[in-house]
Amino acid sequence: MQTLEFRAMSTNVLIAAEGHDWADYGLQATRAYIDEAERRFSRFLPDSELSQLNRAAGTWFEVSDDLMDMLEQSLDFYKETDGLFDPSILPDLKRVGYDKSIDEIRAQGKVVDTPASSRTPRPAFSEMKLDLAGRRAYLPAGMEIDLGGIAKGWIIEKAADLLSSYSAVCAVSIGGDMVFEGYLMDGSDWRVNVEDPRDPTQTAAAIHVGPGAVVTSSVAKRSWNQAGQTRHHLIDPRTGEPAQTDWLSVTVIAPQITTAEVYAKSLLIGGEGQAASLATQRPEIAYLAIKSDGTLFGSENSKEFLNDFSYI
Amino acid sequence: MKLLKFGMRFWITLTSVFSFLVGWAMLAHAPKPVQASSLQSTSSVAPLPTLAPLQPLNFSSAGGIQQQQFSVVQPAAPAPSFFSSAPVFNSGGS
Repeated sequence: MQTLEFRAMSTNVLIAAEGHDWADYGLQATRAYIDEAERRFSRFLPDSELSQLNRAAGTWFEVSDDLMDMLEQSLDFYKETDGLFDPSILPDLKRVGYDKSIDEIRAQGKVVDTPASSRTPRPAFSEMKLDLAGRRAYLPAGMEIDLGGIAKGWIIEKAADLLSSYSAVCAVSIGGDMVFEGYLMDGSDWRVNVEDPRDPTQTAAAIHVGPGAVVTSSVAKRSWNQAGQTRHHLIDPRTGEPAQTDWLSVTVIAPQITTAEVYAKSLLIGGEGQAASLATQRPEIAYLAIKSDGTLFGSENSKEFLNDFSYI
Repeated sequence: MKLLKFGMRFWITLTSVFSFLVGWAMLAHAPKPVQASSLQSTSSVAPLPTLAPLQPLNFSSAGGIQQQQFSVVQPAAPAPSFFSSAPVFNSGGS
């Protein structure tokens, strides 16, 4: 199997494909696609389509089919999760210091100089309007959206579709969120090590999966210090503050990566108290959470993905 | 006619003997095949890391009615695969 590793979206990318020449062409084409997609949908690039949409708040803005698809899915997931998944938290993200890329924040010692401030009223995400026929989107004045909670998964899905046209057995992983296509030649499953969020060099659980998606959300990776307070990028839309959660990370296994990505974040923000009600919305997903005391908590159906376990 | 027959027999005998000798010489100088037993004795096996034991794992049903406790046994080292050397992926957020 051929692999290609590079950096995009401020994180590590690993793509793999079975085969020789065609697989190699596929890896190069997939890399070019991911780089291009980042340029289109990053909120940190002023010329990206997303940045242009945010600047056009208060007016109708013509969007591409791809952005329209993301916005449409975002609205559906917003309703499905009762607002736990909310792309319109961008003003809150900026307020708590995430107003530049995480690479820049890390370069300045993970300390931000954005002054702490209180939340200001903002329009609800449900007030965004989409004109599907006219391919236009309308953000109410004062609304800014961050597609970080769904765009990466969407890009991975499209990248995996592209790579699978070169090699039926392939995988695309961006920052530990991944899609697997096909079964390995020897019939075995794909293997994924779930990192321990308390020490990412350690593996908390090893899982095996077939074709589908695995996504982990963690409060440990994108964190920084603001005015003496530790902050992270998972904003609880109900408070506008970084989520205070008893779970450090949640790994979701699902057939579709956008579903996995949205539910990993929603489960992490909702925590143990809301996990059961969230999981009933999507019986096809399995999740595995790691609590701050190091214990693991999983949905009943997550057992089939774990390499081994025993009753105690 | 007799002379022709004799000549043919002589030629066939001579080329057969010559070919046999050439083949013998080539095989004698060819590298020896590696025995399976010597392969086993020379190949090195990388030591596997020892992982720390995991904490108990609580499984919940979707409705949160049943809860069972499990202990995750350390994952077994994957068997070496003849067909594929797929990478092991890490998932831990980005």
